[in-house]
Parts: sequence; structure tokens; C-alpha cells
Amino acid sequence: MKTPELVVSAVPHVHGGNSIPKMMMNTLIALIPAVVIGIYFFGMDAIRVVVIAMASAVAWEAILQKIMGRPIAISNLSGMVSGLILAMLLPPTAPWWMICTGTFVMILLGKEIYGGLGNNPFNGVLIAWVVLQMSYPDHMMYWLAPPGDFMTEATPLEVLKYEGVGSIAEHFTILGLFIGNTTGFIGEGSALMLLIGGAYLLIRKVVSWRIPVSFLGGIVLFSGIFWLTNSEEYASPLFHLLAGGSIMAAFFLATDMPSSPVTPAGMLIYGFLCGVLAVVIRLWGAWYDGAYYAVFIISILTPLLDKIKSKVYGR
Amino acid sequence: MKSGTFPGGLSLPVSAAGVSKPFESVPPSQTVIIPLKQHIGEPCAVSVKKGAEVKMGDLLGESESAAVHATVSGKVTEIIKKFPGMSGGYVPAIGIESDGKNESGGFLEGSDPMSLIQKGGVVDSDVEAISLHDKLTLAKEKSVKALVINSVDVEPQMISRASILAENAKEVASGIDIISQILGITTVYIGVSENAPNAISAISGACSSAISGACSSAHVVGLKAKHPQSMQELLVKALLGKEVPTGGSPEDIGVTVISVETAFFTAQAVNDKKPMLERFITVAGNGIGSPKNVLVRIGTPIKDVLEHCGVAPGHGGKVIIGGPLMGTAIHSADIPVTKETTGIYLQKEGDIAEFPSGVCIKCGLCVEVCPMRLMPLLISGFSESGSYAMAEANDILSCNECGCCAYVCPVLIPMVQWIKLGKSEIRAQRSSE
Repeated sequence: MKTPELVVSAVPHVHGGNSIPKMMMNTLIALIPAVVIGIYFFGMDAIRVVVIAMASAVAWEAILQKIMGRPIAISNLSGMVSGLILAMLLPPTAPWWMICTGTFVMILLGKEIYGGLGNNPFNGVLIAWVVLQMSYPDHMMYWLAPPGDFMTEATPLEVLKYEGVGSIAEHFTILGLFIGNTTGFIGEGSALMLLIGGAYLLIRKVVSWRIPVSFLGGIVLFSGIFWLTNSEEYASPLFHLLAGGSIMAAFFLATDMPSSPVTPAGMLIYGFLCGVLAVVIRLWGAWYDGAYYAVFIISILTPLLDKIKSKVYGR
Repeated sequence: MKSGTFPGGLSLPVSAAGVSKPFESVPPSQTVIIPLKQHIGEPCAVSVKKGAEVKMGDLLGESESAAVHATVSGKVTEIIKKFPGMSGGYVPAIGIESDGKNESGGFLEGSDPMSLIQKGGVVDSDVEAISLHDKLTLAKEKSVKALVINSVDVEPQMISRASILAENAKEVASGIDIISQILGITTVYIGVSENAPNAISAISGACSSAISGACSSAHVVGLKAKHPQSMQELLVKALLGKEVPTGGSPEDIGVTVISVETAFFTAQAVNDKKPMLERFITVAGNGIGSPKNVLVRIGTPIKDVLEHCGVAPGHGGKVIIGGPLMGTAIHSADIPVTKETTGIYLQKEGDIAEFPSGVCIKCGLCVEVCPMRLMPLLISGFSESGSYAMAEANDILSCNECGCCAYVCPVLIPMVQWIKLGKSEIRAQRSSE
């Protein structure tokens, strides 16, 4: 009997089966509830934005990878995920050319120019979002009201900013905010649906609990300090949690892997600082919602936060 | 009974087919090859000549650490000078042609437990194989007062340790008493996976029926079934809450960790005056249905063990000595079972994991699972780029190569391979200085 030829290779000999497409697929699944309720509230307009954003993101990715001479890697689904997340941060009225500009910036400046997925220092979605926000402020604030009787066309945080905390109760109920029956970007409104998706991400271990939990903790703590000292003037922590992009940013933007820390302590501080900065911008900034800007700015600190390592065993 | 663990690691699915099974004896092979170095240290001096007739248990090689014995009766056919050793390099080895009679030679002589352990060739095998004699000598020097019995299965699916406890708890308890007496141990911890209830009840029963001795007051502790709980530094962490200082050994903090099978062979050598001729092994992997426990004579070619289990590695398959995460793939199934063999893991062609190494996306999963709290992505990256000084500054030498990082990596970076390279480069540099 001839001895069979055996394979010899280094350890480990097994792999858990985790992969980028799997993580991205789980992220897509986690986003479904929030997208569905966005489409329920804003109808065909929302569908239009989502489809254009996802398709153009994948197209730009293929085109740019081709131009840059890299293997076409659209099958890892990361382009689809970032396209979908960007769509969720746009108003339902967003014109098609603006969406395509956004996805172009997102793929180019947020990913390919740094050498592809994994090397980007910023969250590509947020780069695109900030560019759109600065370039086309009118289009980014052209709201569409969901069905129902509304006294205002403004978003909850706009009401807080321009009319004061007293007006909030006139226009919004906590339940309404929780379900997301408000004006705003397509996917950010429903705290309930985003929490369901976030819980799915945590259960599937796509993201660590540390960033979302410390993010929301930062919001509650920092807004709570002001609310406790003067609840006449400052909104409650619960309002800050449910309004605007708090939960969207905590679960789906701050957890962007390449631009967020990898160490346990770094993650906690990162999330917390994002939460605090989000409230700072809401309270004193020119812009009514600070959640997305906060993540964008705090990701500058990621290399520093990654220096906060755990104590090595036995040291 | 409390349940202990350590931070990080992998909770892998353990086969539901039962976590303890009796051991089947693999019949003696026609020819056995017995390496004269089956543990860290110097090889034994050959004490037989070519052509000599030997019986089971006859001395083949002598050393101050652990002797080596014939495991079949028959004729010494060759004395190989350069036989591939399990930890790299070459070792001398002795080939014996069996006469099929399986005649037993004499018993070990003397009554001093330490010398019986040395003459009986008892070796404690974990990540590294150390002769028990050397291990106890070190423990004595450091006046160790706590003994940890490692009954945690070496790796997922390798169910031999829990099975030894379930099957042979009495002998194990006696071995624990012998070792405790030698060292003057005051506290004994027996760490067992909590998913092996019959092992826990067997050893608890054997301990509580002991009237005297350290074993009667032993702490039997159920530990979470996680990889790599069997590593001694993590056992010490889980059982005593202490950490072994970097670069040191458990003995430095007054603990010695000894495997459950070693306790069994100690009892056999001291009570029955029988040398260590066999090894308890689990044969597992996707090449074989459910894991199988076997009792194999040292020197038996692995292909004979596989044949007994009714499996063949097949062309393009992988035979691994040890487990799926930390074992060593071997190039030929003719390699014999030694005292270092903790298990055999079999993979068929097509089941073999490949690590084509993508670009790191900084997901942090490797950091999350690292039981040593290292930054695997960082030290593996430094090693890949040849920045060994940076790798060393980030504690690459603390890595115990458990494989958790590469197992969870979504882009399949062969991190352990890079880390191993970095460690060996750093060590080579050190020794040349």
C-alpha cells in the first residue's frame, strides 16, 4: 500500500467560518426593520433613495476598483451595506444626482483611495454624509412628513433647537419618537426598529456591545446632568436617546470597524466620547443633531485610543 | 462547587455524543518505533543492542529524567540515529519487531516514589512534554504548596482527559496522593470541564472515599468548556485567580500543574511498579464520525491507530498530532505515538481550513478572544513586516499560540503562523547575542 500524501500546514487547522460577506449580510439583515418602517412612512420616495444609493454605491465600487487596478470585490457586500446606510441618512426627497455624488465620495474618499476596505481612517458613509450636508444643505433638510396630523414639519431636534424644550411635548409623544413617526432622514427615526436591528448585531456578535452601550451611556449621562439641573431648559435624556440619530449612530456608524478602536477600553472611551460630543453639538452647536458629526470627529482619536491596551496576562 | 473560567477564549460546540467514553485498547503493532527523546531535555542513552531480544517493559534507554521501555516483546531490529522528533530536529529511536507473544518483563525495582517515577519513564504532556521527575524536582526547589490536576480536555473534541477521570478515578486519586506526598502539597485543585458530569462525580467520589491524603480535601472545580482552558497558565487563573508572571512558570507562584493521565501513570509506576508503556488518546476530527478514545502503546505507528478506528487519512487529507487548533500536522502516518501525543485529529481533503490572508479590517475579534489579552492583529502584523522589535515590545513572547485569533478572523489572516515566525526570529536573535 502506498502511503497517502498528507497535507502539512501551520496551526490552526480549523476556522470558525466568519467572513466579511457574512458580517455584511448580518448588517443588512439588521438594517431591514428600520428600512422597512422608513418605507412605510415615506413610501415610494424612500424606496427610490434606497435603490439608487445601493445600486450606485456598488457601481462606483466596481468602476473605481477597475480604474485602480484592484480585484473587483463587490461580492463582499460592503458596498451594498454602506450604500444602504447612506440612504438611511438622507431625506426621502433627495435628488438622484445628489445620491450618486454621495456614493461616489463615499466609495472614493471613504474606501478605495486608502487601498480598499479596512484601511479607511474615517467611516466612508459619514465622509459622504458630511460632504452632502455642507454642499447641499437645502436638499438635506427638505423634509417629507410621514402620514398623520402634524403641527410641524420640523424634526424633533429642530424643534428643540429653534423652539425650545417646551414645544417638544406639543408636537411629539415619547411613543411616537420611539416608533419613529416623525420627520427626518429615512432610516434614523424609529428607535424601536433600530434597537431590534442593533440587538441582532449584538446577538450575532458582528459588533461588540462596548461602543453602542457606552455611546448611549454618554448621551444619557451628559444630557442627564443638564436635565437634572434645569429640566425647564434642557430636554430629558430619554428625548436625546430617541430623537435624531442617536441609536442609528451608536449601532451602525460608530461601530464601523476600520475607523473605530479594537481594544476593550478604547471602545468604551470612544463610544462615550461620541455620546458626549453628540450632546455638546446638540446643545451648543450650530447644527441641530450632533450624533453623526460626533462619530466623524471622534474617529480621529481611534489610533490614540487603540494605544490603551489591556494589561497582558502575567505582566 | 463553583464554576471557573478565564476572560476570552472560544466556546466551541462540543460533540453531544457524550463527553466521556471508555478506552479501547489498540492491539500491538507488528513493528514499533520508540523515540529515545519523548520530552524536553536530553535524549536517553541507548541501553540495548541491535538484535537483542526484549520483553514488554524492558529498558531501552536510560536518563536522569525518564527512562524509555519496550512496549512489545520481540527483537530490536534497528537503532535509528536520526528519527524526526515531534518538536523539530532529529532524535534517536529504536525499532522493535514484535514476536506476537506480548510477554511482560520484570517490574520496576525499588520503593522510592521519585526514583520509580524516573525509572517508570513517566512524562507529563501538555503543550510541552516534561518528564515528571524533572517537573517534581523543580516544584520541590520552589517549595510548591498547591497542586493543580489538569483534567480539562486539551482541545475541543479531544475527550480523553474527562474520560480518564470517569474510568479510572481511583488510580488518579492515588496518583494525586503520591505526588502530594512527594511535594508536601497542602491544597489540591482538580479542574474538570463542567460539561463532563460523570467525570466530576467519579473523581469527587474517589476523593471523598479517601480517608487521608491530600486528595481527600481536594477541590473539584467545574470549569466552563472553553478553548484553551487546558493551558496551565489559564487553569491557574481560573482555579486560583492568580496569573503566572510573564516568562515564568506556575512553580514561581507556588503551583504545579500536572495532567490527569500523568497522575494515573504515577500510580501505576509507584503502586504496581509498572512503567509508562501506553498513552490515552482521543481520535477525532471530521475524518471520523464521533470522537473515539483509545489506549495506545508507545511506538505504535499512527496509521495502525487509525486502522483500528476504521478510518484512513486519504490522499490530500491531514493527520494532526494534538487537536484542531494547536496540533501539529504530520507528513506521514508512519510516525509513532509517543508520550508527547495528546490526541490525533483527522481531516479529509476538502475539510482543511485555508488561510489566504486578506486585509485586516480592524474588527477587533482577535483582541476580544485572546486569553492572554494581547493584540494579535498588531503582533502578527509587526511580525509579517519584519518589525520584530515592535512585536516584542507588544509582548509577542507572551502568546501561547492557542489559535483563537486566527479561528475567528473574518479575513483569514494566518496570525499564529506569523506570530510563531516572529517568536522564533526574536529567540534566534537573542541566542546569537
